[in-house]
Amino acid sequence: MSGFAGWARKATEPSVAAGKPEALEGIRVLEFCPGHFGGMVAASVLAEFGAEAIKVEPPDGDPLRLVAPEDILVAGTGLPFLSEARNRRFVTLDADNPAGRDLFRRLALSSDVIVTTESPERMEAMGCDYPSLRGERPGIVYLSLSTYGAFGPDASRPVRDSDILCQALSGAPYIVGEPERGDGTPLPHQAPTRLGNWHGGFVQGLWGAYGVLAALHFRAETGKGQAVDLSGAESLMMFADYNITWMHTGGKARERVGNFDPAVFPYTYIRCRDGYTFIAAYNDEAFDSLMHIIGRPELTRDPRFSTPKNRVALENERALLEILEEWSGDRTADEILGAVEEYTSKRGGPGAAVVTGRVNRPLETLSEEHWRERGCFLRSRDPVYGELLLAAPPWKMSGTPARWKSGCRPPGSDNRDVYLGILGMTEEEYRRMAEAGTF
Amino acid sequence: MPSDPGSFRAFAGRAFDPAAIPGKPEALAGIRVLEVASRIFGPATADYLGLFGAEVIKVEMPPRGDLMRYVAPEGFFWKEVSPAFLSLNRNKLHVGLDLHPAEGKELFLRLAERSDVVVENLRAGTMDEWGVGYLQLRERTPRIVYAANSGFGQWGPYSAGRASYDATAQAVSGFSAVTGFPDQPPMKAGFWVGDYTAALMSATAILAALAARRKTGEGQMIDLSQAEAMIRTLDWTWPYAGSTGKDRVRNGNVDPSYPPSGIYRCRDGFVAVSARDEDELIPLAHAVGATDPEETWVASTERVGAFCASRRVDEVVRIAEDAGFSAAPVRGGKDHYHDPHLRARGTVCSVDDPLYGRVDEYGPAPKLSESPGRVKWSAKPVGWHNERVFGDLLGMTAGEMEALVRKKVIGKWADVPGARPPKGSTP
Repeated sequence: MSGFAGWARKATEPSVAAGKPEALEGIRVLEFCPGHFGGMVAASVLAEFGAEAIKVEPPDGDPLRLVAPEDILVAGTGLPFLSEARNRRFVTLDADNPAGRDLFRRLALSSDVIVTTESPERMEAMGCDYPSLRGERPGIVYLSLSTYGAFGPDASRPVRDSDILCQALSGAPYIVGEPERGDGTPLPHQAPTRLGNWHGGFVQGLWGAYGVLAALHFRAETGKGQAVDLSGAESLMMFADYNITWMHTGGKARERVGNFDPAVFPYTYIRCRDGYTFIAAYNDEAFDSLMHIIGRPELTRDPRFSTPKNRVALENERALLEILEEWSGDRTADEILGAVEEYTSKRGGPGAAVVTGRVNRPLETLSEEHWRERGCFLRSRDPVYGELLLAAPPWKMSGTPARWKSGCRPPGSDNRDVYLGILGMTEEEYRRMAEAGTF
Repeated sequence: MPSDPGSFRAFAGRAFDPAAIPGKPEALAGIRVLEVASRIFGPATADYLGLFGAEVIKVEMPPRGDLMRYVAPEGFFWKEVSPAFLSLNRNKLHVGLDLHPAEGKELFLRLAERSDVVVENLRAGTMDEWGVGYLQLRERTPRIVYAANSGFGQWGPYSAGRASYDATAQAVSGFSAVTGFPDQPPMKAGFWVGDYTAALMSATAILAALAARRKTGEGQMIDLSQAEAMIRTLDWTWPYAGSTGKDRVRNGNVDPSYPPSGIYRCRDGFVAVSARDEDELIPLAHAVGATDPEETWVASTERVGAFCASRRVDEVVRIAEDAGFSAAPVRGGKDHYHDPHLRARGTVCSVDDPLYGRVDEYGPAPKLSESPGRVKWSAKPVGWHNERVFGDLLGMTAGEMEALVRKKVIGKWADVPGARPPKGSTP
């Protein structure tokens, strides 16, 4: 491996992370997000960078533990929860009971960051909304996650936040999926299409972590804490390209166009011998390269394809897709990658911008040596939950690497540690509360 | 002590009031970011930092600059700029600087000495080859935080030579394989989700690295692959593959974790119906025809589908709100543009730009009560801020700048749509 790549590998390999310091060491995050995936993501991201995260669950466990696609449960917990339950301590308390609420408030007042998906009304009733806490702890950073946000005309709409609601409102599904053909009853797939994973929840958590870090930066400069209000719908909305600028400047709204694209083409999935692969070559120089690769250099002078503007007319995109698939149909995705790399390695600048990559099924991704070498996946082992395959934190960092440290534990596993160690409870007090069912 | 009931909503209305934002401080004030990037992954990373007050200097190769300038929906340019470029490059200072000649490299190193963060998304190792990579920068500026954004990472078998766009990450990660309908080909998301998701992750890591630097004084390099970013978002896909040896399949518009939650067709559009647990499933089952509260099985995808198909979107939402399950309309850009809720939250906002006049944009999603994010100005032509950056920041004289312009080390826009100022404007 060449100089820089060799250095980069040595400096950022996940296997050397454990001996290095953590970026957010000393920041305590209290997560109170029952039944909510996005809240877990926010806490996980902060914890992957070294924050100390404590997840508060009801005494019988977080309802998200019971969410089990294909009914797969591992020791009573479904795979979605297991995938995100990392780097945190698991405590229980009964927030519907005064002693439990008091416990929560003590935890909150010992924390730097609160992450909650409970309604402001409930947090207020617990005496743990932001205005109540900041009097005693002015530096606190308080993140609340919801579908519509905490203010504005729709803020009081009675919904229970979920990925599908956030996706729907975000504008993402609106521009994902096949359009209707206008020739009779539309087929089920000719509809705005949800992103198959919980991308709405994930991006909500990620923007939440980002907002918290911006607030912590401000606190380090000024000593001031603050409230951070985040709508999951708006989180994914920020990724909806040029929706608003195009509406404003051109009066046009984006509509769904399947695997085509209104601004760049070729930029699509093409059929190949072993499935589908992505192909892009949209600026003139790259398009010229691609037409040479497929042996059709004359097409750069075809009026349908000769300018970026002509190439993005939908009927021309369809015609070009057909031409590309004539070439790709009897080649494998790897052969296509080989042909592209061979040609573009001889060209620099914009002409080299021919881009491809196989549309992998998850098991195909897992079979690729590249991700294994980069430590992109890990196998956790736990006496209760057994062995689990998980995605590692994606950041490789030379100084304070993000890292996976621990996985899921049963509800209340860390009660004693946290209540005695952090809140300074006596053994006697702990026993009394346990007996009273406070946690 | 607990405040008055209902006071949080009143507090929120005051604390987050968009009208008060211009008078408040910015969270990342004092952080300077150098962006050497094109298209989306790098520019969006810097955009997210700039929205919260970092000063972003966008370094573009003169005279054409960032190739994203020429990505225009249906080939449409407005006042000589693409709306697709505007939304990625708010609050930035644009300089035209060629990093190939020695004098260009030296200028860049001088800018880096005055900066906190570098964001780049060139092919892995390119900045190092040019002599302006992390190892060269840290010699003079050990406090620099360097975000190397790429498709496959800075090292590993696929890192050398492979280019990547958003949809490369969508494709190779497995994201597209789980999106779409089971009897149809994998569906590419029609927006550049593989770029934005990774960009947000990069910006998040940059803030973490700045927090670490506060303690140690040392910067560091962050190596982020956009494919790995997408892999991290695929929730239960990986433990499922690990435990069953099977591929998670595409499940169309029904969320396989919360059936029958999903997107459904109505008479006049589409609606998302959501039921997280029994508390919502029971009223949903009742709404679609169950007579016994125990019969949650009645809330099948078929029954919910038929229920929605014969109603308008607003009817389904109203019934849900009254009955106790959740629903929301499927909205698009036109709906957002006219949505009073999003306007009241500053999520759709107007900026009064000195060059373009009024430009409407998506504003920052996280609302911070004390140091809120904001859009201050829109993207600019290539090299628009050369004098401000090279003159005011680096202290160069007009004569020195002219000499560098003659040598094509620094420069301004090409006379083409996408790069140049609006017609009739006087730069």
